[in-house]
Amino acid sequence: MKKKFLLLLLAASAFSFTSKAQDTVKTTADAPLVLYGSVDTYYKDDFSGHSNIPTSFASDNNSVSIGMFDLGLKKTVGNASFVGEISFGPRGQEQSLPDGGDYHIQNLYVSYNLTSKLNATAGYMSTFIGYEVISPASNFNYSTSYLFTNGPFQNAGFKLTYTFSDKVSLMAGIFNDEWNAYTSQHDVSTFGAQLTITPVKNWTAYLNVATGPTSGTEFDLTTAYQITSAFKLGLNAASFTPPHYGGGFDGVALYPQLAVSKVVTIGLREEYFKAKTEDELSTYVLAGPLPGGSVLGSTLTANIKAGPLTFIPEVRLDNVNKQQYSTFTNSSLAPTTSASQFVLAAVYAF
Amino acid sequence: MKKLFVALLCLFAVKSARAQKDLLSFDEHNKYIYYQVVEQPGLITDTFQNRALYFLKINYPKNKIDKSESPAVITGTGKLLMLSGLSVAKHIDGEINYTFNIEYKDQKYRYWLTNFIFTPYKIDRYGNSVPEPGVDIPLEDGASKLEKAQAGSYLDQTGKYSKAFGEKLKQYMLMISAAPVKVDKKKVISTKDW
Repeated sequence: MKKKFLLLLLAASAFSFTSKAQDTVKTTADAPLVLYGSVDTYYKDDFSGHSNIPTSFASDNNSVSIGMFDLGLKKTVGNASFVGEISFGPRGQEQSLPDGGDYHIQNLYVSYNLTSKLNATAGYMSTFIGYEVISPASNFNYSTSYLFTNGPFQNAGFKLTYTFSDKVSLMAGIFNDEWNAYTSQHDVSTFGAQLTITPVKNWTAYLNVATGPTSGTEFDLTTAYQITSAFKLGLNAASFTPPHYGGGFDGVALYPQLAVSKVVTIGLREEYFKAKTEDELSTYVLAGPLPGGSVLGSTLTANIKAGPLTFIPEVRLDNVNKQQYSTFTNSSLAPTTSASQFVLAAVYAF
Repeated sequence: MKKLFVALLCLFAVKSARAQKDLLSFDEHNKYIYYQVVEQPGLITDTFQNRALYFLKINYPKNKIDKSESPAVITGTGKLLMLSGLSVAKHIDGEINYTFNIEYKDQKYRYWLTNFIFTPYKIDRYGNSVPEPGVDIPLEDGASKLEKAQAGSYLDQTGKYSKAFGEKLKQYMLMISAAPVKVDKKKVISTKDW
């Protein structure tokens, strides 16, 4: 018995050393099967006593609630890659994904480097539009902007990306007629393009367009500049027009962030968002002020790192320009132009 | 039997504890360096250069080689990924950029890897691991700017990588010809003629 145990121990050790030896040299990103993801939870207190601010996520008031469990796997072998990312929980299901139930896909695509400069990708993937994303691990603020909530979350389609140089690349693709849908309603008729420019080191700007007869047209500028090792400035500006009867939105958001210590970064999101006027026949609905109105959203957020865990305390104040465009109500449920809330979230990323 | 068992356990413990980070030393600028001098009798500078360039082309095709005025020196930059997690599914923590230097004169050559700079990765919206802009941490500052376990692991991985770099370089320097090894043409049997 002892001999068997020793043999087993030896075999296990030999296997362990062999595994280590094979891990010795990794010179490219394509070697391992990579696992990543996040888990998040939050508590929100809207100072009116009920939820007011209509942007995505952090929706439950006076409740310790869950965001999502996000799990991704990816692998690259030679020029071929895949990414599969699945999510569970309100943030990753009914609050962001189509169908609300059966599938919980964040990213599911394959890609192939046709040449060293040309990449082809097909599948269902996070949108190329906008500054913020669904995953809380990739956002600085826990609550989201009006621009994010009213823009696309994901697009299914086929795209080609050509890298001209370290400073310029261009993506062009054809996507399903509707945003945020695993399958097309009628056809694959949304055209999308992204011009990426890196004028100087640590500054990248994305000029985006998505346009189609079903999905409407959105122009978007997303840029971020890490000006010093402590200070970063982000900007998102977008304009959306639905395919029929007017409406849509214009907006701009500024994201200054300052690292005040090794573990604490403080950031502000200052957003102006205007709902365009629309015809009576319009069925377009947006999350925000009523058509013709605008809102100024100010969100002060801290990111406090504890290894892979980030605590996110956040205070937010939104103010609509006129009462007639506001959907906010105060603690007595009387109409008001402003809404404010406090959120404390914890996000573990791996 | 008990003694054998204890001895084996000790052996495994020693082997596990042996850290590859000990392979790295500090240079006169207080930077981590992996430095080796190798005697190679019978070789001249031209041969060293051809073999070193061929070694880089085959094994580190993504490394950038600087234009050099001197025929006896090759310098450039490269990078390696810092991984963590399970052996079956890794997490990419970031990359370490480094500079390399290969020098030779008749009968011997030396090489070193140094200026190791760690850049953490973040996951972008498509699930890609991409460098966080503006965050560059010299490996020497790892103790103060990274978690202790992280810093130790990155030193360990960098030491292993550097050692492997040197061992491969040695193989290529020992090659009789720097030309690629010709594989014998596959013998094909025709079933038509018999």
